[in-house]
Amino acid sequence: MKIFDLQKITAGYGKHLIFQELDLSISEGDFISIIGPNGAGKSTLIKVLTGEIEPTEGDILFKNAPRNSYKKNELAREISIVHQFTENILPFRVYDFVKMGRFPHQKLWEIETARDTEIILNAVNITGISSLADRLLTELSGGELQLTHIAKALAQNKNIIILDEPVSHLDLKHSIEIMDILYNLNKEGATIITVLHDINIASAYCSRIIGIKKGDIFFDGSPEDVIKYDLIEDLFDIVCITRENPISGRPYIYPVPKHLQK
Amino acid sequence: MLGSVNFTPFELLNILAKGSKSTLYNIIVNLRIPRMIMALIIGASLSVSGTMFQAILKNPLADPYIIGVSAGAALGATIATVLSLNYTFILVFAFMGSIFTVTFVYLIFKGLKLSSTSLILSGIAVSFILTSSVLLIFSMSKSEDVHKAIMWLMGDLSIGRYNMLPQMGLLSIAVIIVSSIFHKHLDIISFGESFSKNSGISVNNIRNIFWLASLLSAISVSLSGVIGFVGLIMPHIIRSTFGPDHLKLIPLAAMGGGLFLLISDTIGRSIAPPFEIPVGIITGFLGGIFFLIYMIKQKNI
Repeated sequence: MKIFDLQKITAGYGKHLIFQELDLSISEGDFISIIGPNGAGKSTLIKVLTGEIEPTEGDILFKNAPRNSYKKNELAREISIVHQFTENILPFRVYDFVKMGRFPHQKLWEIETARDTEIILNAVNITGISSLADRLLTELSGGELQLTHIAKALAQNKNIIILDEPVSHLDLKHSIEIMDILYNLNKEGATIITVLHDINIASAYCSRIIGIKKGDIFFDGSPEDVIKYDLIEDLFDIVCITRENPISGRPYIYPVPKHLQK
Repeated sequence: MLGSVNFTPFELLNILAKGSKSTLYNIIVNLRIPRMIMALIIGASLSVSGTMFQAILKNPLADPYIIGVSAGAALGATIATVLSLNYTFILVFAFMGSIFTVTFVYLIFKGLKLSSTSLILSGIAVSFILTSSVLLIFSMSKSEDVHKAIMWLMGDLSIGRYNMLPQMGLLSIAVIIVSSIFHKHLDIISFGESFSKNSGISVNNIRNIFWLASLLSAISVSLSGVIGFVGLIMPHIIRSTFGPDHLKLIPLAAMGGGLFLLISDTIGRSIAPPFEIPVGIITGFLGGIFFLIYMIKQKNI
């Protein structure tokens, strides 16, 4: 089934258009990474998917119905979003923050049902943050904070998760930890859409990589099809080489510094 | 029970037990008790309103008057004063003035897609226009009317203001209770616009909270004039002491605000008898000093 179907989308910020007549469809079970240079429109594409930016032209279908025919809480029950989280960290308990994922499922007066508790604990376990449950958000490290956000997203729903640069500011250990969690969720059937800056991480984990350049889809395919030196060179305007990872068989890239180029 | 006339708790019980004959009984039942109730209700309303505005505007400097409610009430009250209407009408005009202002600011807010900066800026612009209108009316009125209107604007809780207390008081308590039902919404909204949208908060939710906060502000300003600082500092102090969870925050802000205003008013009544210093002046002094000490202690807001 198609989760998202974008048909001739024109969207941007006021008069500054990023996309013109963009077509894109995303199927159930995809593990997508969106890559591309800064300013190409990766985050904008995420915002178009999540409804934060309304396209000025074109249609967005979510599960075969116009996205705007869904109420905000109906959408929130089906799609979880993990933002780049730099501002507005408030001293809530980790557990209470994860509980906010249950909000679109709850009635006005409900605080926490037995089912909520079960789902929250499950989300906390999947992300391995049980030991942090009583800590305050303001006391967490960047990696712990990102895991907490993913736990909140999982408490909201485990079917469609959209993440905007979930590992950009994290060290390798935390990056891998988060990508492993996403990989397992995808294996259990979740559709995952994420913006990544690290092409090698994208190649190692994702089933589909979409390259965006100047508001256009530059390439779209499996890592084997699109992580080729000439495509990546054109996408980022750099010089690089690609090789095959002997363990995964997936391609990886290595940029060639300017002083080594002849 | 302090004031221009003092009595101890024992004397108080004694007076109450004797019944309605004595002057002191009348002072207590008809003056002091309504005044205490008024202080508690106004303080609670301002503090809860400030808590909600700070959450929806994501701005620590937001207070109940940020969207121009006080300027709207001032214009309403000034018009009623110049027309020589009685106190009930002044109150009704003030209330209508603030509700008109809120509606107007809300329409701009809605037109600008509910962005919090646009709300604050349109509130400031509307306040300027209304305040200038008040001054324009002043410049063309008799000086005793101007004095009366200025006295009205200066926040106090004195006897003349009690005629609508039962109705407005009950309305205010009802609004505070309804507001506390939105505690989960307020928690999520305080994390910012995109977070709340994607967590299932709708435009209607934000609109409802905006109106509840505005209503509390309009009730307090039309009952008691402009009492500054309670709605700004109480939410901060309660939040940093008890955490950001609105399930606790709203009832605690209501209690804290009510008590703070009650204490401020008691000081205002007893500090320089036979004069009564309007409570707005006391909250300004106390609140300002208290807030500075608090900020220096916290080293941030």
